[in-house]
Amino acid sequence: MLKREVAKRVFAREFEACRELEKSARPDSEALDLKTPNLLISPLGLILNRIFVVGVITELDSIGTQNDMWKARIVDPTGAFTVYAGQYQLEASIFFSTVQIPAFIALTGKARIYEPEPGSVFVSIRAEEANVVDEEIRNRWVVDAAEQTIDRLEAFSDALASGYRGEKLREYFLEKGISSELTEGISIALERERAPQEFVKLLRASIREGLKSLDLDSGNNAGAHADQKEFVLELLRDMGGNRGVDYAAFVDTAVSRGIPEELVEEVVRSLLAGGQCYEPRIGIIRLVG
Amino acid sequence: MDEKIAPHLEELTRALGDLEKTGIRAEFEKLLAFRVPPEVAKESLLRKFGGKSKVLKVKDLSGNLKSFEITGRVLDLGEKSIRPQDGAQEGPSKLYTGILADETGSVMFSSWKELPGSTGDVINIRNAYTRIWQNRVRLSIGEQSLMSKIPDSPLPSLSELSGSQTKKLIDIGAADFSVGTAACVLQLSHREVLVRGRQSRVISGVLADETGRLPFTAWIELPGIDIGSIIRIEGAQVRMFRGMPSVNILNGTKFSPVKPEEAGKLAFTFESTGKDPDPIRIEEIDSRDSMFDVATAGNVVSVRPGSGIISRCPECSRVIQKASCRAHGKVEGIRDMRIKAVLDDGTGSLSVMFPRELAEIIYGKTLEEAEQLMISDISKDAVYEDLRRFLTGRYLAVRGNSSKSEYGISFVAEKAWVPEEDLAVRVVKLLHRLGPAEEDGQERNSQVSGGGIDLA
Repeated sequence: MLKREVAKRVFAREFEACRELEKSARPDSEALDLKTPNLLISPLGLILNRIFVVGVITELDSIGTQNDMWKARIVDPTGAFTVYAGQYQLEASIFFSTVQIPAFIALTGKARIYEPEPGSVFVSIRAEEANVVDEEIRNRWVVDAAEQTIDRLEAFSDALASGYRGEKLREYFLEKGISSELTEGISIALERERAPQEFVKLLRASIREGLKSLDLDSGNNAGAHADQKEFVLELLRDMGGNRGVDYAAFVDTAVSRGIPEELVEEVVRSLLAGGQCYEPRIGIIRLVG
Repeated sequence: MDEKIAPHLEELTRALGDLEKTGIRAEFEKLLAFRVPPEVAKESLLRKFGGKSKVLKVKDLSGNLKSFEITGRVLDLGEKSIRPQDGAQEGPSKLYTGILADETGSVMFSSWKELPGSTGDVINIRNAYTRIWQNRVRLSIGEQSLMSKIPDSPLPSLSELSGSQTKKLIDIGAADFSVGTAACVLQLSHREVLVRGRQSRVISGVLADETGRLPFTAWIELPGIDIGSIIRIEGAQVRMFRGMPSVNILNGTKFSPVKPEEAGKLAFTFESTGKDPDPIRIEEIDSRDSMFDVATAGNVVSVRPGSGIISRCPECSRVIQKASCRAHGKVEGIRDMRIKAVLDDGTGSLSVMFPRELAEIIYGKTLEEAEQLMISDISKDAVYEDLRRFLTGRYLAVRGNSSKSEYGISFVAEKAWVPEEDLAVRVVKLLHRLGPAEEDGQERNSQVSGGGIDLA
């Protein structure tokens, strides 16, 4: 059966730590033939080929000898993905030729790995399809990616704590209802990773921060506080538009309208962390979309 | 020479058993005579005879599997003489057909070789394969299959296996012929159909229990049964249509309404089964051959070519190209709109088909509006391109039927909507699962606190 590769949800932090999964490393896999796609494996044992990401496109360059290749950077709450689209990724190239940065975009692509010399590894995405989306979709993606990463984290930590390996781990996970693919991935990752605990800790911290930075308009904020934040955002929109605004000038204006300086800073910081605005140059802030 | 090939022969023996008896040795020699290097010859024989064969149970069988091993009890065995086609060199051959069962289900088989046992015996088959025949999986035993009779087998006895098993609806599949179940009637309607030239009345509808739903057809009257009734069925026949099982109530089927005091002990009621199905992960849909009336959600990762405005043959409703139907020739096509999209939730992917009514809702344009777009753009692909721009990346929830084929899961949507769930609630749950922040996380947390919602 020629099955479509599932588009995995993974944060940039875990993605960039992926390494090649050699075919020889999967002796007991059934689908071992020429059609097996190139696979990567993350430190948590996620086996991936296709991925789906939603984030902010912050950089876009036309590279290659004949300007026939696009290189883009897509930012999520934990880091950034490097994306390429060349002449054989026609749909994606057409998209990149028209997209305005910054913007929230959704993108599917295949994971690629390039290792020019031992020790230096570049993990990137070869784009397939992309589209501009809204912030709501971005937030939902962050929550989805967090959920699936936490599922993995828990299984991985469980395996680590159990001390089981190989066949024993397989039986243990089968009972727990963990998919055979993840079981296989974790098995391989456990053999490879030298300091798995470190990565687990790092990733947990990143996800926690990423989730907290989401602006969900949930109305949990105290009324007046939220109003003032809304006002700061409104002001930023008025002053900067899509061109951006000098940060110092912006703080002065806000303070002159009766907003405490700390609040302005807090709002801007949360906007930065949430990917709703960014700094094209030091001292300049600009809203996304 | 012999020294060179000896280790390969040994390996073949280990993997495939007695080489002399099965004629594998002779095949090996033949390949060598054609100057095939011994390693390559060994590999191709291993491939052909399935050295690394998997051991499967009946319920694991699906269409187009190759070289696996299976053990089952023969429930039924018959033979047919196949007359050779004119001009064929071989004499008449025989095809042995029947039913093979293990504790997980039963499957029809056909064999070109005589079986080493008869009805009631347990046989082991290596290097078997499957085909889809009349909408069902059929186990095929070919020239290359190896069979042996197993005298003392722990498999259930003939009478146990051939009885009708009581199952939950979700467990009923292509591996069942006759089942029993207790379920609630969710939908019911009468219709007239032509059966062998005779007008007859059948009842069709939907059954449900706490595990899922299935369509049913009754070829007999069901006195006293209506929507909302909970019934117990024994000896119903399972038929497959487009990969979907349906429960058929025939003359020999026993059925009776479940008494109210007994119904209280069941894990479902009419109210609970009548609720809209909760969305499940695509992974779960992928783990079954087919599912009836389920809901799921994911991102549209791709809008497939063939979406948009299409023409259909007025006779057979097939999609036509260049104003010609492949069955009816040149026809005046009827305009229609549909969307074929790949929905992916990170655990699996589905190819979803949205018929016109749903396509119009999720696209936000009617067929007529889409036609206008096509005319004003003077491009056949204008609607497809517009759909891609509009849908790619979006979240969609769908409800409908799924079935697996060799190209993955196809899902026919009967409802579609944009999922609306409270992200804040999910975030709180996830933060809880992550546990308290460790020391190095503390400082950064205080920096962004209040950035979004106050979650603490």
